[in-house]
Formats: sequence, structure tokens, C-alpha cells
Amino acid sequence: MIGTGIKRGTAELAVLSVLEHGPLHGYEMAHRIEQQTKGALRFTLAALYPMLYRMEQRGWIRGAWETSSSGRRRRCYRITPVGKKRLSPLRREWAELFGALRRLTKVSNA
Amino acid sequence: MRDWEALVEGHLTGFALEPAESADVIAELAAHLAETCEELRKQGMAEEEAVRRTLSQVEDWKKLTRLIQTARTKENIMTNRVKQFWLPSLLTLLLSMGLLALIQVFGPNPWLVARKSGWSLVAPVAVVYLPWLLALPLIGALGAFLSYRSGGSQRAVFSSILFPVLPYLVFFLIGLPMIIILNHHIAHNIMFSALFVGFFGWVLAPGAALLAGGQLAKIFLSRRLDSRRIASN
Repeated sequence: MIGTGIKRGTAELAVLSVLEHGPLHGYEMAHRIEQQTKGALRFTLAALYPMLYRMEQRGWIRGAWETSSSGRRRRCYRITPVGKKRLSPLRREWAELFGALRRLTKVSNA
Repeated sequence: MRDWEALVEGHLTGFALEPAESADVIAELAAHLAETCEELRKQGMAEEEAVRRTLSQVEDWKKLTRLIQTARTKENIMTNRVKQFWLPSLLTLLLSMGLLALIQVFGPNPWLVARKSGWSLVAPVAVVYLPWLLALPLIGALGAFLSYRSGGSQRAVFSSILFPVLPYLVFFLIGLPMIIILNHHIAHNIMFSALFVGFFGWVLAPGAALLAGGQLAKIFLSRRLDSRRIASN
């Protein structure tokens, strides 16, 4: 399992990455992230929604109410152009961090 | 079928968001919980266990309320401060000053309160504009209404109500004492009693009038909000 501090930092990247492929509502988003990371990143309701609202305030994502075929109303989130712009530097920063950590652990193991 | 919205609403108490925004958050969290529970039921879990597992997603509802509140308002803090404090305060100040100026020009003569010696008045003389004083509760109520409606805290509402007396307070706490210290030609006993009379006439009495109207408006608004909440339950 990945520690809480790292998770918090990667959470925004995870949300933006899954939304890049299409709009999702909160439950689907949490489910998709958990599946794609094989359970390494798991969002509870308490962790997910404050983050989604914060990202919405920043203009990275936009939520809108939609009614599903089963008649259930759900709030679907889409990535905005601002969010798309934010995604590439975020990816680069995390790739750099993980690259640095890989190099560090290789050196330590040598 | 479990009423998830009622459950979430019961837990998320003390939201200082607009009622519509608050209802949106409640509906969204309730939909998430309902879906989680349904999924667990589909996996063959007994209802009671599924509900317990669903609810275990939130360990501390108070913390969640605070986090959502912060997430939805923190980024917008300047806008909120403007809506909840600066706008109501400056509007009440403008109305209060404008009304006083109009009354001084077009209104009846002020009421002069002072000791009398024969036919003349003895300093200090309190100048009271009664129509202005009587209109201040309405201005206080307006300040409270604007700040409360925008989700202002107790402090923001209180400050918006009393903001119009702030210039007088500054004058009597800083300006007049400076004059007393620097001016040696006027008897100090007159200046000190003038300070007291002026403070009463321009700060305490208008402040009390503003506060009376503002507090009444606040009580009325909070009762209306409570009755709406009860109706929606």
C-alpha cells in the first residue's frame, strides 16, 4: 500500500487522468481508480468529495447533474481545458519524482 | 428502501453554504452511498452489513463537513469576504451617512440636549438627529440581511450591522483625545464631558439602534431558515 502523504499528492493526478478519458460521476471515478491501480489508490467518500470540490473551485473539473437510464440523478464530472493544461505538468512532476526515487533506490541497493 | 439523503442531511450539520448548494452536496453524497450499498448487496452481502460497510467510509462527519465547507469556499475567500462583510458594511455606512446628510439639510432641526443656565445652553451640547436615529434600525437590519444571506459568520454579520458607527468610534477614541491633549485653550472639564456626551450621542446610541434592528433581522432570518429545514425534513 502507498502511504497517505504520497496518496494525497497523487490523488489530483489520478482524478484528472481518469477524467481525461470521459466524464464520470464520483462513485464511478473511485471505482475506476481502484481498479486501474489494482487497489493501491482507494478513495472513500470522505476523501474523494472534498478533493473534487476543491478541484472544481480551481476550475480543473466541472460537475453537472445528469439523469441515468435507470432514472437516478448523479453529478458527472468533466475535465476542463484548464484541467487538461494542469495535467501535463503534474504528470511531468510525478514522473520526475518517481524517476528520482528509482535512481535513489538503485544506488542504495548497489 | 433506505433514505440516504435524510441520513446524510442528519450528519452534515452546520453547513454555512447557500441552501441550494448544500442540497446539491447532500444529494451527491447520498447518491454515492446508495450506489456503494447497492454494489455490496449485488456481491451478496446482507443488507445490514452492506449498510455498515457503506457508512464506514466516513469516520468523522464533522470533519467531512468542515473539509467540504473549506473546499467549496476557501479558494473563493476574497469573494466571500466581499459578499459577507465589505458589501453589507459599506452599503450600511453609505446609507447611514447619506441619510444623515439629507436630514441635516432638509430635515427638522436637531434636538439639543444640554444643561440650561437661564435661556442659554451650557456646554457640552449633544446634537441628536431623531429621524436619523429612528431610521438606523432599518439600516442595521439591511446589513444583517445582506451578510446573513451570503452565509456570513456571526462576526461578519455583527460587523456589518455596526460598521456605520466605526468612523465616529475612531474619531472619539483617537481624534478627540488628540485634540484634548493638543489644545490648551479649552477647559479640560468641558472637553472630557464633551467626549462622553459625543461618544454617547454618536457611537453608543446609534450603535444600539443599529444593533436592535440587525439582531431582530438576524433572529427572523435564522427562524425562517430553521422552519425551511423542518419543512424539507
